[in-house]
Amino acid sequence: MSSILIEMSGINKEFPGVKAVQDGMFTLEEGEIHSLVGENGAGKSTLMKILYGMYSPESGTITVRGESFPSLTPKRAIGMGIGMVHQEFMLVREMTVLENIILGFEPRRGAMIDRRAALDKIDYYARTYGLSVHPDKKVGEISVGEAQRVEIIKTMYRGAEILVLDEPTAVLTPQESEQLFEILRSMKKDGKSIVFISHKLREVLEISDRVTVMRGGRHIATLDGSSATAPELARLMVGREVFLGGTPVPSEPGEVALSVEGVYVPGEKELSKLRGVSFSVRRGEILGIAGVNGNGQSELAEAIAGLRPVQRGRVVLGGVEVQNMPPRKIREHGLSHIPEDRNLRGLDRQSDVKENLAACSFSEPPLSRGGVVNWGRVREFADDLIRSYDIRPAGVDVPAAGLSGGNAQKVVVAREVSGRAPVLLASQPTRGVDIGSIETIRAELNRAKKEGAAVVLISSDLEEILSLSDRIAVMFEGRITGEVSSSEADELSLGLLMTGGRR
Amino acid sequence: MDTTNDILSLVFNATLFHSTIRAATPILYATLACVLTQQADILNIGVEGIMIFSAFAAVATSYFAGSWVLALVAAIIVGVVVAAFMAFAHLGAKADIFVVGMGVNMLAIALTRFLLQRIFGVSGSFHHNDIVAMPRLSFDFGGSELLNDLFNDYSLFEPVGIVLVFVLAFILYKTVWGLRLRSTGLNPQAAETAGINVTMRKFEVMLYSGVLGGIAGAHLSLGYSRMFVENMTNGRGFMGVAAMFFGGANPVWGWVGCLIFGFADSVGSRLQSLGLPSQFILMIPYLATVLVLTLAMMRKKRAETARKSAL
Repeated sequence: MSSILIEMSGINKEFPGVKAVQDGMFTLEEGEIHSLVGENGAGKSTLMKILYGMYSPESGTITVRGESFPSLTPKRAIGMGIGMVHQEFMLVREMTVLENIILGFEPRRGAMIDRRAALDKIDYYARTYGLSVHPDKKVGEISVGEAQRVEIIKTMYRGAEILVLDEPTAVLTPQESEQLFEILRSMKKDGKSIVFISHKLREVLEISDRVTVMRGGRHIATLDGSSATAPELARLMVGREVFLGGTPVPSEPGEVALSVEGVYVPGEKELSKLRGVSFSVRRGEILGIAGVNGNGQSELAEAIAGLRPVQRGRVVLGGVEVQNMPPRKIREHGLSHIPEDRNLRGLDRQSDVKENLAACSFSEPPLSRGGVVNWGRVREFADDLIRSYDIRPAGVDVPAAGLSGGNAQKVVVAREVSGRAPVLLASQPTRGVDIGSIETIRAELNRAKKEGAAVVLISSDLEEILSLSDRIAVMFEGRITGEVSSSEADELSLGLLMTGGRR
Repeated sequence: MDTTNDILSLVFNATLFHSTIRAATPILYATLACVLTQQADILNIGVEGIMIFSAFAAVATSYFAGSWVLALVAAIIVGVVVAAFMAFAHLGAKADIFVVGMGVNMLAIALTRFLLQRIFGVSGSFHHNDIVAMPRLSFDFGGSELLNDLFNDYSLFEPVGIVLVFVLAFILYKTVWGLRLRSTGLNPQAAETAGINVTMRKFEVMLYSGVLGGIAGAHLSLGYSRMFVENMTNGRGFMGVAAMFFGGANPVWGWVGCLIFGFADSVGSRLQSLGLPSQFILMIPYLATVLVLTLAMMRKKRAETARKSAL
């Protein structure tokens, strides 16, 4: 039995309205690769950010090499040899790889940077662990895989013996992932200890010595990597047999209501730019769009809704080309849109519930006449929606900022679904929403389909996609890598498409 | 034809170089002050106010103490104090830097006007023989009129400003301090996780910006001129902000922006002596500002579009 490097116990961390970690515990042994798995929001990242000192817990102890602390700071953690590679890379795009690696720990010659010494050290890590990088390239110009290697070198450069990787493969292609695993294995051989956060079970089983499962902020189990199986881990992660979400309700597709034809859309990141995306949706069916976050799904939704320019290709809505029209014109042609970020685009948090509910019907009778709003009618209108969608608290004058996540989302869904538009574009409709609201929202999507709407469901939740969609298209790096009917889809085949593999 | 040539040679001759530098220098110090803070992601719109305060402090000190060195020191102290106040308001009390800066600018105009009346009993402007100006550099080039026109009779802080441009560029891009400073502006989270105290770094850089703003004010009232005039910056601080934007917070390119302003200003004043209506001439620096900013933003936008393009 090797010695225990880190022991976290009784950790509690609360964010406004959420208990992120409850009685959390975790141990790391010297020279092991220990995976931390769980669904989104299970508290994996939070627990590790507590270890790295980015959050301080309300209670609990962190013991590193026999020394106990109530909480740490990043500086402290770095000092004790803990390094973390975050999901969002902590790199300065405008600076070179070399500058990013040495930042804060620069070798000096007087007041100047000792480039030679820095290069030698970087070269050492590159050779020892196969971490090849281009020191003089700007970070903005290198691939995601290389950026991750830069992050890993950065932690080593700061003297890390313990490396925490937060969902490192979420942004990688399968080849890059394989390369990363090689690097991790060689680091392990060199005596480093690694925490690997993931929810991809195949990868976890491939490289872990031990696996810890978290659910709802709690420690569920710690298993031996060699004896664990995927179904067992899945059951522990979800807390029940997987796919109780049910199967899609039968559909009778009608005519094509929305078609996207060879669309090119600009994006902030290289992987999220759309390059030649095509699909069509018929009335009375749900088309699910699956994929790892950041592969162009957000850009696709924004392009269809008119919130992002289309550089090439067509978006045809009810027989009319609507690409690059203003959002309101596109709505008039029959689109309703549940945006992925309710706080940014779905709601006006400064307004109250009735104003938010009426936002799309304000400008026409009966809610207004000749530009004058009939507030009595607006209240009735809002009251009806609040009752039929069970929005709580049930008050038309409640400020939107005061609603819980689930109820805020129900306001958005009520507004968009009640208009009975021929095309419904729902982007991550149940993200960060409680179980009860998830059921309501999913039922609404099914109802819209039954009533003859063409529904596009963009979601990174595979279970949601599988339980609602009639057909499923998978996006990867700004392209659609495949389309399958729900009857022949399973997690494995979708997972393959989501990482760029062909069926 | 001859008259056209005469006019052109009156406007464009060797002394134009000299007057361009002269007109550019007060703006240059403001630009450098903004460049420093911008590298830490603070838009120091208050540099205009800092300059006015410092210009007043310099004239008053020079008048009472009879020393331009003491006047410079006083101007720098005032600049740093005002900058420290802005830094406290922005970093400590989390006030919007733009609002704080505008407040400082308006306070500077009003307070110096008040003090001008209270201390010197005049309004509008104050000049007096007891005000000691900054020294001017003179060299002996023999009889060469061209060399004299180009290189003689500069006020001390005019060449110093040019040296400062390159010193600052070196500090920003070659030293450890510069690397850390730039990281705080470009990605504060990355800087924070590298153990850099972002807030302290911002505070520090605001104080240095106060030093440069102080020099800008002192040079304006004791080098560029030898008096104090109400609102004598006349937008030079804002032009400094514009030149900083033009240069994308790079000191050398910021200096180029200042030279464009200085050039427009000098050509304008020569045209005025040829009888062009002064109202048009007075517009030139501001038109140049709009033009320079438009060009800078167009360039930036085009680069941004190209970066995001999917084609």
